[in-house]
Amino acid sequence: MIKKKHVSRFIISLILAIIAFIWMVPFLWTLLTSLKNDNEIYTNVLKFLPTYLYTGHYSSIFTKLGNFFLYFKNSVVVSFWSVLFNVLFAATLGYSFAKFKYHGRDLFLGFVLIVITLPYVIYLIPIYIMQSRMNMIDTTLGLILPYIATNLPMSVFIMRGQFNNVPNEMMEAARIDGANQWQTFSRTMLPIVKPGIATVIIMTFITVWGEFTYARTLSITAKSQTLAVGITFLRDEAASWQYGTLTATIILSLIPVMIIFLSMQKYFVKGIMAGAVKG
Amino acid sequence: MKMSYRKKSMLAGYAFAAPGMIFAILYMGYPLVRSFYLSFTNYNFAFDPKPTFSGLENYISMFSDSYFIDALKNTAVFSLAFFPTLMIVSLIIALLLDKGVKGTGLYRTCIFMAMVVPLSLTGIIFQWIFNNQYGLLNSVLSQMFGLDSWTHNWLGEGKWAMFSIVIVSLWKNMGMLVILFMAGLAGIPDDMIEAAKIDGANSIQTTFRIVLPNLKESYVICGLWAIIQSVKVFEQPFVMTNGGPGTATLVLYQYTWQNAFKYYEMGYASAIAYFIGAVILILSAVNMFINRNKDTDEVKKKKKRRGGAAA
Repeated sequence: MIKKKHVSRFIISLILAIIAFIWMVPFLWTLLTSLKNDNEIYTNVLKFLPTYLYTGHYSSIFTKLGNFFLYFKNSVVVSFWSVLFNVLFAATLGYSFAKFKYHGRDLFLGFVLIVITLPYVIYLIPIYIMQSRMNMIDTTLGLILPYIATNLPMSVFIMRGQFNNVPNEMMEAARIDGANQWQTFSRTMLPIVKPGIATVIIMTFITVWGEFTYARTLSITAKSQTLAVGITFLRDEAASWQYGTLTATIILSLIPVMIIFLSMQKYFVKGIMAGAVKG
Repeated sequence: MKMSYRKKSMLAGYAFAAPGMIFAILYMGYPLVRSFYLSFTNYNFAFDPKPTFSGLENYISMFSDSYFIDALKNTAVFSLAFFPTLMIVSLIIALLLDKGVKGTGLYRTCIFMAMVVPLSLTGIIFQWIFNNQYGLLNSVLSQMFGLDSWTHNWLGEGKWAMFSIVIVSLWKNMGMLVILFMAGLAGIPDDMIEAAKIDGANSIQTTFRIVLPNLKESYVICGLWAIIQSVKVFEQPFVMTNGGPGTATLVLYQYTWQNAFKYYEMGYASAIAYFIGAVILILSAVNMFINRNKDTDEVKKKKKRRGGAAA
């Protein structure tokens, strides 16, 4: 009986290991390609490991691809401001939804739900018209503003769930101690929902870092393009250079999201689960 | 003047909601209404100074547009291949991970990691793997397994291009659904499974009789999410094949995007965008109906019956 259990556990382990390996192959292949010289990339594909670690592709990013650093900088700038304001607004809005009763609250919640399901190109068309009238096309600000809004619904749901779990007595206690509304929020409530804030930061950051449709439409030149879009343009110019350098740029642009994901995976998973229960 | 506590609290509620609300209304609420209006107009952003009202013309003419029909068909083919595979495979992975064998944490990380890769970069990575001449897939098939007849110009042949895009989408989206299913599995009370075991059920029986029927809520959420991802597939074909070869991988979302930002036909594009939205809402409603909680219905029926008997 015990033996049988061991066998079935071993089989489950084996299946999972195979699946996990298949899921890792694209990462490994990209990394290995970026470390081979061109000759090795295009002659003996099945020699998986590079004969020696070739860093030429990485150094050629520095020498040949000035735009890459522009893309990188734009990605950082856009992500930073989008995440910052998204968290701020999601916290206040979530707090308001969870702890106050007023007219139009449920209506707005319903609106938020529908907004998530609709394709974002519906919003993109008027935003494009609006921003081209205001000369905001091809600016980083023109990306940051829509990103703050499009990421709000999910973030608000997470924050609302977090605030719902805080007992009302905490608010009452703060008020009796003489705190005004803002102090109650910032000094008493916010510190309690720190895990929720961490979740919102990670999820928004990962979404914004990888967002393609808006960035592809609202930014036209390298001046405001982010990595997710810029690298597709680098690929289109790939006449003189090829997958070696391209994979190297991909690896470099994955590093920030990978660090965040690997160090804060717990919050990321929790956030999706919380969204699943509430949504 | 002193305000009542209730009123004060309401005001504070509005004040806390205001900044976020303003953003949501300006960048989502207004565009939502605006593009709905545009969908009933003829408006070329490059030539026309103003949209001119044209009634239902856009909605009618799209069905005689052969590109639209192609895009609709391709989206349907993609969804029919992608949706069930995604649901079933992710449920299986979630069930396996839920067993908590040694190394589960590592396996989870490996499967979830794909989620953080930007979709466009995923497209480029897989373009390289599917490369006809130097790609990993063809090399493994022909040189490692000797299956030369299995090799294809994956992204260059219509049928296989769509297949490749389904594979990419599965790789990228699986983690999300695995997490959602794991959330559902965690919600099933342990004593329910213990009880089944005491009654002598083996693990396959418990899975099919206890676990799967109790995941209704997960089916709704995962289904909704998978429907959205199916119907609004865009980046993968846009980056990998640009709709080609021919129109083999042209999907609705890309056709909308082309109309809006390549030809600047904002009216027509809005109409197609709303068509996509309507499809998503209808499919979500169907999904909710199929997975509605029948237990509560039965309770209600019983109550009704009892009430009827008493009367």
